[in-house]
Amino acid sequence: MKRFAGWLLAAPATALVVLCLLVPVAATIATTFGEAKGVFSPYIAFFGSGFRRNVLWRTLEISLATTAISVVVGFLTAYVVVRSPGRIKSILIIAAVFPLLTGVVVRSFAWLILLGKNGIINDFLTWVGIIAEPLSMLYTQGAVIVAMVYLFVPLMILTLVGVLENIPDDVVQASASLGATPAATFRQVIFPLAVPGLIVGAVLVFTGSFTSYATPQLLGGERQMMMGTLMYQRAMVSFDWVGASTVAAIMVVVTVAVVLVMARVARRLNPMAT
Amino acid sequence: MKPRTSPFLIAFAALVYIFLVGPLVIVLGAALSDTTYLTFPPHGLSLRWFEKIFEVGAFRTTFVTSFQLAFLATALALLIGIPAAYALNRYRIALPSWLSTVFVLPILVPEIVLGFSLLKSVTVGAGAPIFPTLLIGHTLIVLPYAVRVVSASLASFDFSVEEAAISLGSPPVKTFLTIVLPNIRSGVIAAFILAFITSINDVSTSLFLTGPGISTLPIAILAYVEQYFDPTVASVSVLLMLLTVAVMAIVERTLGLTFLTK
Amino acid sequence: MTQALSIENLTAHYGTTKVLEDLTMHIAAGELVSLLGASGCGKTTTLRLIAGFLDPTAGKITLGGRDLTRLPAYKRDIGLVFQNYALFPHLSVRDNVAFGPKQRGVSVTERERRADAMLQRVGLEGLADRLPAALSGGQKQRVALARALVIEPPLLMFDEPLSNLDAKLRVDMRVEIRQLQRANGTTSVYVTHDQEEAFSISDRVAIMNAGRIMQFDTPEKLYQRPENAFVARFVGFENLIPMRVTARDGRKVTAEAPGGTLLALDEQRLGPIPDRFVLATRADGLEVSADPAAPGLPATLGLRTYLGRAYQYQCDTAAGGLIANGALSAPLASGASARLVPVLDQCCVLKSE
Repeated sequence: MKRFAGWLLAAPATALVVLCLLVPVAATIATTFGEAKGVFSPYIAFFGSGFRRNVLWRTLEISLATTAISVVVGFLTAYVVVRSPGRIKSILIIAAVFPLLTGVVVRSFAWLILLGKNGIINDFLTWVGIIAEPLSMLYTQGAVIVAMVYLFVPLMILTLVGVLENIPDDVVQASASLGATPAATFRQVIFPLAVPGLIVGAVLVFTGSFTSYATPQLLGGERQMMMGTLMYQRAMVSFDWVGASTVAAIMVVVTVAVVLVMARVARRLNPMAT
Repeated sequence: MKPRTSPFLIAFAALVYIFLVGPLVIVLGAALSDTTYLTFPPHGLSLRWFEKIFEVGAFRTTFVTSFQLAFLATALALLIGIPAAYALNRYRIALPSWLSTVFVLPILVPEIVLGFSLLKSVTVGAGAPIFPTLLIGHTLIVLPYAVRVVSASLASFDFSVEEAAISLGSPPVKTFLTIVLPNIRSGVIAAFILAFITSINDVSTSLFLTGPGISTLPIAILAYVEQYFDPTVASVSVLLMLLTVAVMAIVERTLGLTFLTK
Repeated sequence: MTQALSIENLTAHYGTTKVLEDLTMHIAAGELVSLLGASGCGKTTTLRLIAGFLDPTAGKITLGGRDLTRLPAYKRDIGLVFQNYALFPHLSVRDNVAFGPKQRGVSVTERERRADAMLQRVGLEGLADRLPAALSGGQKQRVALARALVIEPPLLMFDEPLSNLDAKLRVDMRVEIRQLQRANGTTSVYVTHDQEEAFSISDRVAIMNAGRIMQFDTPEKLYQRPENAFVARFVGFENLIPMRVTARDGRKVTAEAPGGTLLALDEQRLGPIPDRFVLATRADGLEVSADPAAPGLPATLGLRTYLGRAYQYQCDTAAGGLIANGALSAPLASGASARLVPVLDQCCVLKSE
């Protein structure tokens, strides 16, 4: 009876996920193995094309750079936020939540204004006299990375503030009472305890960057095509649906693999979960 | 009474915050500019670009579509998500452990892949109209918020309270509505807000599901930016930021902002 | 290694509220002193001030002549045992214990040797490679103790160390703590809200209330001779009867209780008796007698409860509601009249407030 009631209540949501997410995504992946030219022909085509290989490589590169920078910047900032006095702390948290709740398009667009030929950065550099001609910063790998870091640092800060606040005060005090200097406490106690949370945040940033569309579209353009923009181009410009599905399948595989592997690593490093 | 934070770290964090907030301030400045191209600082102030928003038909209609979509998707996700969250907490032992993983899938699968797959299977494959497909997509991406945030509330709810009500003669459905729901109110509000804001800002899922006649605001903005480079988009962005401010004010009032770091 | 601790005129604020007021106490080398009181009495604040996690507004803390007041916590060399153990969850039991020596630059092999030796002393030699999450509450507390002891601190402090353990283990552990402390002769400060624990383990106990020490004495003195109404109530003197001296004859004193009952008292037994005072007794020290001529306060008996060794009565008297015990052989009915006779050996005299 109880078992039945539980199933009944969970059924509508479960059905939606299975029928409208699992089945369609599985179907998309399945089409890539149904080509007449051979089971793996779409993948052979993908990895055979220097251009598409480059896109995959670039996407990995940008995502890893974004993740690495976001982790370092986010961790140091979160550490300062957690140690700020009450009022300042809430202002800092609000200042991180605000960009997070503002859409990807708006936030990427902001960098379009900043990095453009007539943008504030070029204006400023010309005014100071460092450069004579405006630099073209848009549609470079750097522009995409900066905007992505901008996108994900608030997420990292908030995740890590949560993690750092969960480290009990008395554990930190115990470390001090045993003679550990603040630097030693940071290195030997706070950092190791934050690592599992750091991994969770890093996975969110990596998968988010790896599958992003709006930011590379606005700031990278054709020149800095990434997996997301490549997929759109394959599907809606070239009408190569099998090609687009292949890109989709690679994205799913990379995302799921990263999540599973890192979840295992995080669990192993998490001393609380035994 | 913690030992002082190093001044270098504080300076670094200050720079990070300038980096976080600065670009949004610049968008605001650009929106108030009176020139026809995007520039900062503005040469003169004007509200003409806000007026222009209403002249661009695409913004007007997609604004309405996005709100309808966000509202419907959120309502639908809560309608099926709350019972699921309840089942996962109340009947945890009776249900298999993989069931809760099902509701993580929409986060695990890249949104852009979901959008593309829905286009292939539902719009093209089953011949469904655009709006219902969009609604399915948005309901799916906000469902994890409904299930997880409400679950977190239910996890701290003492189910013996519900049993007490039933023992006093209250029928189960009425008990849920009068006893359980009021106690998880803050979780439901939080889920609603997060879901709504996620839907209204979504690009990746909607990308493949918009077509002639029906589009969402973020997609319309993307399309506009690719053709024109005037401050109208900055004005629309400011309107969206005002929406964010409103949402944060509601969150602050009802839950306190600290819940966002949990 | 053991050193005396002295605290002089220590005052502390949280924001604008004063949580500790002008506290002065001297603890001799090798002594174990408990700070006892309800939550919010200032006992934990005192401990945190000594440890260096809080800054005092005024006052001075010295340990063995070394002024600690402005020293950062990590330079104070004080062994601390926390209520929630505060073990490092990411380090093995051995590494937890070796953490202190590591900060002091002790080599890996030497600090592991010391950690293992200390673990053996607390009876955990088999568990050195486990993580704290895999230990029981009692084992965690032993690791915490070993970790604090291994740095051979001149001062050990305990913050409610046993409050998360079950009753039986609590008693075993406090004996163990006392034995280890005695063996090392380490000066110790022990914070608790549990009276039995404080009295059983300590050389002296400071009973605290609202940021002040109400009385600082040996457990025996506190239990038998409280100095004021607060301490008297705290150690279980339920009955506080205001009295007035009517006649004195050498050390014999006659005093009047509310309602006019005269009681014969003796300064030889009770110490000096001022003209106005409060006579304090526990329920055991007030005997219910059915004899209307007995020298005691007239009372109407209320609810009777069975204690096993005696019956206890809620009594209504001219001095207000009192609690008294009566013999098992003669249970009295509710509503009966009786006399409540003070047992002078079990009474004490407090100044009127």
